Amino acid sequence: MKKIIFVLGLLLTVQFLLSQEIEVESYVDKTKIGISDLIKYTIEISGEKVGNISTPRLPKIENFENLGSSTSSSSSYSIVNGKMTSKATKSFTYSLRPKKIGNHLIPPITIKIKHKSFTTDPIHIKVSEGTTQPAPPTSSSFTQQSNSSLDLSDNLFLIADISKKNVFEEEPIIVEYKLYSRYDIANLAFAGDTNFEGFWKEDVFKPESINFKRETYNGIMYNVMLMRSVALFPTKSGKLNIPSLDLNVDIRTQSHSFFDFGTTKRYNIKNKPAAINVRPIPQNNKPSSYSNAVGKFKLSSNISQTKLNVGDSFTYTITISGTGNLKQFDIPKLKEVNNLRFLDPEITTNINKNKISGKKTIKYLIIAQEKGNYTLPAVPFTFFDTSSGSYKTLQTKPYQLEVGEGSLTFIASSSAQSIVSKEGSDIGFIITDGVLTSKSIYYDKFFYWFIWFIILLLIPASVLYSNERIKLKGNIDYIRQKKANKILKKYMKEASAFAAQDDPGFYAAAQLGLSSYLADKLKEPRGSSTEDIISKMKLRSIPEDLLEKIKTLFNTCDQARFMPGGFSKERIETDFQLIKETINEIMKCKF
Amino acid sequence: MKKTVFIFVLSLVIISIFANQTEIIFEEAINSYHDKDYQTALENFSLIENEGIINADLYYNIGNCYFRINEVGRAILYFKKALKVESDHKAARRNLDYALTFTKDKQDSENENVIRSFWQKAFDVLSINLLAIISLFIFVLIIMLICFMIIHYRNREKTVPIFITTVLIFLFLAFLIISLLKWQEFHKTDEAVLLSISAIGYSGPGEDFTRVFTIHEGMIFTIERDEENWSLIKLENGLGGWIKKDTYVRIEL
Repeated sequence: MKKIIFVLGLLLTVQFLLSQEIEVESYVDKTKIGISDLIKYTIEISGEKVGNISTPRLPKIENFENLGSSTSSSSSYSIVNGKMTSKATKSFTYSLRPKKIGNHLIPPITIKIKHKSFTTDPIHIKVSEGTTQPAPPTSSSFTQQSNSSLDLSDNLFLIADISKKNVFEEEPIIVEYKLYSRYDIANLAFAGDTNFEGFWKEDVFKPESINFKRETYNGIMYNVMLMRSVALFPTKSGKLNIPSLDLNVDIRTQSHSFFDFGTTKRYNIKNKPAAINVRPIPQNNKPSSYSNAVGKFKLSSNISQTKLNVGDSFTYTITISGTGNLKQFDIPKLKEVNNLRFLDPEITTNINKNKISGKKTIKYLIIAQEKGNYTLPAVPFTFFDTSSGSYKTLQTKPYQLEVGEGSLTFIASSSAQSIVSKEGSDIGFIITDGVLTSKSIYYDKFFYWFIWFIILLLIPASVLYSNERIKLKGNIDYIRQKKANKILKKYMKEASAFAAQDDPGFYAAAQLGLSSYLADKLKEPRGSSTEDIISKMKLRSIPEDLLEKIKTLFNTCDQARFMPGGFSKERIETDFQLIKETINEIMKCKF
Repeated sequence: MKKTVFIFVLSLVIISIFANQTEIIFEEAINSYHDKDYQTALENFSLIENEGIINADLYYNIGNCYFRINEVGRAILYFKKALKVESDHKAARRNLDYALTFTKDKQDSENENVIRSFWQKAFDVLSINLLAIISLFIFVLIIMLICFMIIHYRNREKTVPIFITTVLIFLFLAFLIISLLKWQEFHKTDEAVLLSISAIGYSGPGEDFTRVFTIHEGMIFTIERDEENWSLIKLENGLGGWIKKDTYVRIEL
């Protein structure tokens, strides 16, 4: 129960606080006026619920006469994340007439709204003789005035806002260029590049679109736009000029009638030149560990493990954070420790949006190479402290390491390897086992070309061979003649087989073989009778006695085959010999 | 009959003795070189060279001797000779490149153009005798294919063997062309090396003409024309001029 009440109470307070968001501002339309002019003094109250605020009573202002007041109000609604917020603005404009010439002051005015009092800023007014020009036409939310000649410098100007005017070398400053305007601006452009000589420059902000905010400056309400913001690191000492920004501004003039859309007029404006004083960094008492860092820094270190084995690696991290020239300075140097191998560090620099503060992280990977106890010594980091104007040295913690025996004795050292370098050059040594044969060029040798010639001869040879073959293919008798020997051999083989077995088949085979052979040789049809063969043979130059032998041979065969009792085992042997002899004799003959 | 056999045997014996002699001289020369007596080594190697032996290794060794006795010009000449006999003699190529760095005039033995150097390498790797054997082999293949076609394909479809033969003929022609180029390179004698310490190139054959350039020992150039005691030469970079004949030696075998 108590809890609920507490939560409820909290919610109510929040609600109350939110509703109390009220802003009060006061401004005039001009700060330099003539004695016969009027100034418009406006008190603007904006907040969530300002609708029912009555016109605040202006106290009596010295040297001014209050001529009366008018009230205007506007409200806007916006929906953010589904929640609607409304904002209303109520302006009370008083017409004041100066009574005297001179510098006057509109004192701070206290206004009570919902039991809370707000105090406005005092405003200086300079009152001079005569009249000044009427107030210029401001953007439509301001007063409506025709465009007469304008007092440009009062209503449209550029200011360079420098964060620090007295700095040390390398100490960063931030310069913001702001455009103040009371005109309706149609377009804006940079007229040229700005050269920041003598500085190392980092851009912090560059506008992408025209974006004005309302702001009072010296008691007058202006539309203000941040044109550029840079972080500058002076690189030399002495008086350094902050360069001016060069802007082209197109101002829209007020339209006179419905069909007049107004014209634009271009103005070129620059901010007033400004300078800063840069002191050099004192050179005496400069510590040897000075790292060229200027600003204000903090140092911290971290180690991933303190107990490890040979071959293991660990990371050692040094972090430097703070404000200053983070990008430029050298990283603190590590002392070599025997048997610990430091690989090249990995350095990351994170710079904040304002470009002058951030964090630098230096990460070493270290490999333990031998067993033992080691100390990672403290690393000093010296920077120049700009706030005190002196050098400051920070130290990291020393670390104790315990390296135990590991399984790995050898470590691949790819980063420590180097390419074998050349140490000298000379001609090569002589050849000692050369074979002293004289080189002969085959193309110059007769024998080589003779081989070519011989090979070339293969073509006509093959043509001849081929022609011969074709000729023979067409001639059957020739083939028969060629094959006759083969056939005879076949039959004789058969015959000799029969003879070995004393078989009467011997005679049949012998006769058939002999007659076929002779028929082929004589180009007679196969199966010609013995008589035909004999008579044909007579026509050729065959010796008589051979003819006689053949005749008797055929007769013997006929007898043995067809006459009963013509076959006797005893005669086979002699007949076989006879046939062999006869065939030998026939072979020798020419047909 | 007996006489011819005797002469044959005698000549064999002489040749073997002679071969033995050169081998002994070669051994001696190598021993002298080992003992850093380069002059003697050179004399011995030159003795072998004078026998009319054409051998890349021998030329290479002679080049080395000349280099050792600080005669860069002659060293370059002999390395060039070795490369002429065996265009793929790696040791000679390396030593030539090295010796060329000792000349006063800058000259590159290799062309820097990638395609040309690739072509040059291919050209160097194929020695002239290898080319001779390859072209003979291809020739045998072609002839065999033709004979085969004549005998077995007389009345048959011949597309495949004709195609193969055509391809082979093109290959054959390519090798023949390379061989011809190689043969020409082998037999050309227009390349020379300057041996005197320096030589002046004139615009004409005589000392009265305008001086065109000065070259120094070890310069390799080509000879375009001869006129009495003068030769018109052309340098690698395109410069031409007349120099005296007795200042250079042609790279010839």
